[in-house]
Amino acid sequence: MSENAAFEPKIIAFVCNWCTYLGADLAGTSRLEYPANVRIVRLPCTGRIDFNLLIKAFEMKADAVLVSGCHPGDCHYTSGNYHARRRWMLFRELLDLLGFDMRRIHFSWISGAEGHKFQQVITGITEETRNLGPYKLYEGKPAAYPKFPETVLPLGDFSTEKELRQTARKLLSEGTVQVVIGYGERGPIFVSKAEDADKLVWNRNCLTNLTAYLKRKEIKTLGKAAIVVKGCDERALMVLEQESQIERENLHVIGMACEGLGLPKCAGCTVRQPRFADEVIGEAKPAEQIDHYAALDVLMAMPPEERMGFWAEQFDRCQRCYACRQVCPMCYCEQCIVDKNLPQEISPSATREGNFAWQIARAFHQAGRCVGCGECSRVCPAGIDLWALNLTLERAAEKNFEYKAGMEPAATSLIGSYSAKDEEAFIQ
Amino acid sequence: MSEIIAQDALRACVSEWLAAGKCVAGPRQVSWNRVLYSYLKKPEELLLDSEARPVNSIKEFFFPKHEKLYGYKIEGNDVRLTETAEALPEQVILGGRPCDAAALPILDHVFNWDYKDSQYNARRAAATIVTIACATHDDACFCTSVGLAPTAESGSDALLVPFGDGSYEVRCLTEKGKALFAGKTEQSDKTAPAHAGPEKKIDAAKVEAFARDHFEDPFWKEHALACLGCGVCAYNCPTCHCFDIVDEGNAAGGERARNWDSCQFSLFTQHASGHNPRASQFNRQRQRVYHKFRIYPEKFGETLCTGCGACTRNCPAGLGILGIATEISHG
Repeated sequence: MSENAAFEPKIIAFVCNWCTYLGADLAGTSRLEYPANVRIVRLPCTGRIDFNLLIKAFEMKADAVLVSGCHPGDCHYTSGNYHARRRWMLFRELLDLLGFDMRRIHFSWISGAEGHKFQQVITGITEETRNLGPYKLYEGKPAAYPKFPETVLPLGDFSTEKELRQTARKLLSEGTVQVVIGYGERGPIFVSKAEDADKLVWNRNCLTNLTAYLKRKEIKTLGKAAIVVKGCDERALMVLEQESQIERENLHVIGMACEGLGLPKCAGCTVRQPRFADEVIGEAKPAEQIDHYAALDVLMAMPPEERMGFWAEQFDRCQRCYACRQVCPMCYCEQCIVDKNLPQEISPSATREGNFAWQIARAFHQAGRCVGCGECSRVCPAGIDLWALNLTLERAAEKNFEYKAGMEPAATSLIGSYSAKDEEAFIQ
Repeated sequence: MSEIIAQDALRACVSEWLAAGKCVAGPRQVSWNRVLYSYLKKPEELLLDSEARPVNSIKEFFFPKHEKLYGYKIEGNDVRLTETAEALPEQVILGGRPCDAAALPILDHVFNWDYKDSQYNARRAAATIVTIACATHDDACFCTSVGLAPTAESGSDALLVPFGDGSYEVRCLTEKGKALFAGKTEQSDKTAPAHAGPEKKIDAAKVEAFARDHFEDPFWKEHALACLGCGVCAYNCPTCHCFDIVDEGNAAGGERARNWDSCQFSLFTQHASGHNPRASQFNRQRQRVYHKFRIYPEKFGETLCTGCGACTRNCPAGLGILGIATEISHG
């Protein structure tokens, strides 16, 4: 305790301009004393507070952070705080999985009339943080590699290759499409002549989620496309359509019934039979159901600092090759946030801080959008367990909002919408 | 007469080197499906399995993915450099493949051509490289096509040739190698058999000749369509050496650092104006082939490729130098 007696925590409060900032102002003009440990960062609205700022605050040696805005219904911009609330609900789960100390991350609603509440909240956080001591970010002791539940890796029979070739030949010779995006012997191929249709293959090496090519300008210039998808890849098409990235009627979708490629993601697959393709080739027996989230329970059973040690060891291997981003159909930004340097929000360096910041940003940009195709995990040269980051957000979306990305074509985007009824037990 | 060492004795050496404060790096199983060259904490972590193929190369022990060059402080109008000359510990890089080690003399040219890179050279001077000759090869290997072999000695201080029974013939090639294994080996009259390696798959001279007058050939466009533009090929290539210089810090100061960079990223050549001379992925992929088979050879007289096959093995889209070079060589 003697060490902590001299310790004064640094607390960063991200507050909205219209309510909490006025609350802080009122506390001042009312001569309500509150600890000087808090540094206030004023932003227009909680809906405008980028989650990367929280990570940045911790990187810059904050011992605790607070995000505070208007009470529900009071937002100056009508719904900014509702959007923020939904985002923080998901973000907290990601931080928890990564082993962040959740006792140091606070949320509150404080109105312009609540100078008193501002005083109380800041005093409370300061005292609590003082007792916790300085935050040793990203320092947990590396634990042994966790024992994830073992699963059988299902492998289909791939006898429908001939049918796939016939379909492609027909589409090309009749001029329905100009190019078929499919799999060749060595990897993805782009077949634009009917006589080349036999170059298409259907086997256990058909791994790539081809929908990732739809964002590439080199591919867009090839003309109207037919695309070969498995059930898991097809989910990506639905999200891309939901987000106005593709025009579904300009795309001919060839769905391949798939009973597994022998990968971990294939265990317990719920979408073996494509559902919304223009034509489906083959018929797949449903998979044996498993609890996908059991692997997360193994991680969550570890103490937070050990969990952070686990991720630190993983992220230390990250090379920043951005293969995870490039293979992802959902990463379609023309310029990724990590490639922007005015200002440089995320460090491009492969340091522990830089890699945490990057992996958090990448994972959270997939919140409520990731379709679980598992490509990021498959291609990572460093073998980082990226699937766990995506899966925890998928679980959070399912648990809190009964939402699963890419399952319903008519669904409203989770992160682009809100409900006044969203749970808020974590907000003071 | 030859010198031999058993696997157990080799592990005992690792223990001894670690105890002496040296950094020891070697192949390590880091996840269920990945082996990486990485620093070892315990001798048991060293993976001595001729089938196991690390994804990365040993270049990162000389040219790390992130390296601080110097620190700086800003006070008023003054900028003060705070150079931290950290003493480098001695390194032993154990269990690299000959194709990895052969890349080091190639990198030496680049880092000592117009500017002598003190940090790279210091790391090279502090390291002893012990390679293990390959006993197997896979479909992506093509060392024999670029003048190397499973027992190539270039870049190694000592080469261990496996007998296949868990022991190795130790061939000390430099003074460093001799010093490292002095008193550790046993005399024997056996010599280890050399693995023949992959058949010749590509003709580097043909690729170079093709590159000379096919800059605008549609070939490049056709063969780059599947490229997704990540950095896996360059970052895990033993010879790729491009880097970016970044400043990390705030108004009070920070550090200047060197990070790996890849010609496959669109940002690599993008100008501040927004103009990009390599606007499409095919421009970038063509550049990588040109650098390996034409630009570097023209400057330094060698191919910038050791046939390790890492780009082909690890490409998310099944591309890689081997496929492109094979097609040029045979058609």
